[in-house]
Amino acid sequence: MSIAGLCEQIQNAWLSRAISESTWGYPIVGAVHVLAIALFGGAVLIPNLPDEARWIRRLGMTFIVLTGTLLFASGAVRYYESTSFRIKLVLLGLIVLNAIGSSNRRTKVRRTISLTLWAAVIFAARGIAFF
Amino acid sequence: MAELIRQSLLFPMIQSVHIIGLTILVGTICLVDLRLLGVGMRRQDVGNLVSSLAPWTSGGLLTVLVTGPLLFGSDLPRYLNNPAFVLKMLLLATALAGHFTFHRIALCGTKVTPARQKVAAVFSLILWSSVVLAGRAIADFDIRPV
Repeated sequence: MSIAGLCEQIQNAWLSRAISESTWGYPIVGAVHVLAIALFGGAVLIPNLPDEARWIRRLGMTFIVLTGTLLFASGAVRYYESTSFRIKLVLLGLIVLNAIGSSNRRTKVRRTISLTLWAAVIFAARGIAFF
Repeated sequence: MAELIRQSLLFPMIQSVHIIGLTILVGTICLVDLRLLGVGMRRQDVGNLVSSLAPWTSGGLLTVLVTGPLLFGSDLPRYLNNPAFVLKMLLLATALAGHFTFHRIALCGTKVTPARQKVAAVFSLILWSSVVLAGRAIADFDIRPV
């Protein structure tokens, strides 16, 4: 089956339709997505984050992924066809690659790369509405 | 200027910067509030946390206050007729007023009880979250054909 076909199936699943067909589904999931991004962003900015604060970052990330997946599922075909969405996925992949690896080496460089990539992700995300 | 922003990719670009600014602004404020509530980071001193985040909070605030009016100015009727936008402005005014009064006193004032700090934190979290939610909802009440 093609990826486009798969996206169509995802889009027609009951949960996806529950979101896309209800009045408040998409706005609420979208709003939680943005709020989680804000929480995660704040937690990323503190250099030398104390161990205890790490869970805030994890909580933020969990909600970002969860709501992001739901948003994607609600309109999978449209997102799949969007150039900007594809760019966003590549950027997210780069962020994961940047985060993997020994955590004590070149922390500062990796932090700068990470913040730059995150800014780029937000640009790409905003671009989905346009191309 | 308004015409240029409205009809070019300048609009989504300014929007992106606006979202980055809001992420930094609200994210850092929420972290301080969570610390005041004793949710995580308990070993971190409140004063240290606030002073290390303060430049980010100010930078975020400056960013949204520059980009926001640019977006608004690009199409006044579009926003003035949007209930989510009007609500957002009311919430923003309240959140900002609170941020520079009761929130600041809770952080920097002398003889502030932990209970008082917690109340300030809860109000701050609710207000700033509402601003973000209402801001996101502007798109859902947008009457302009996409």
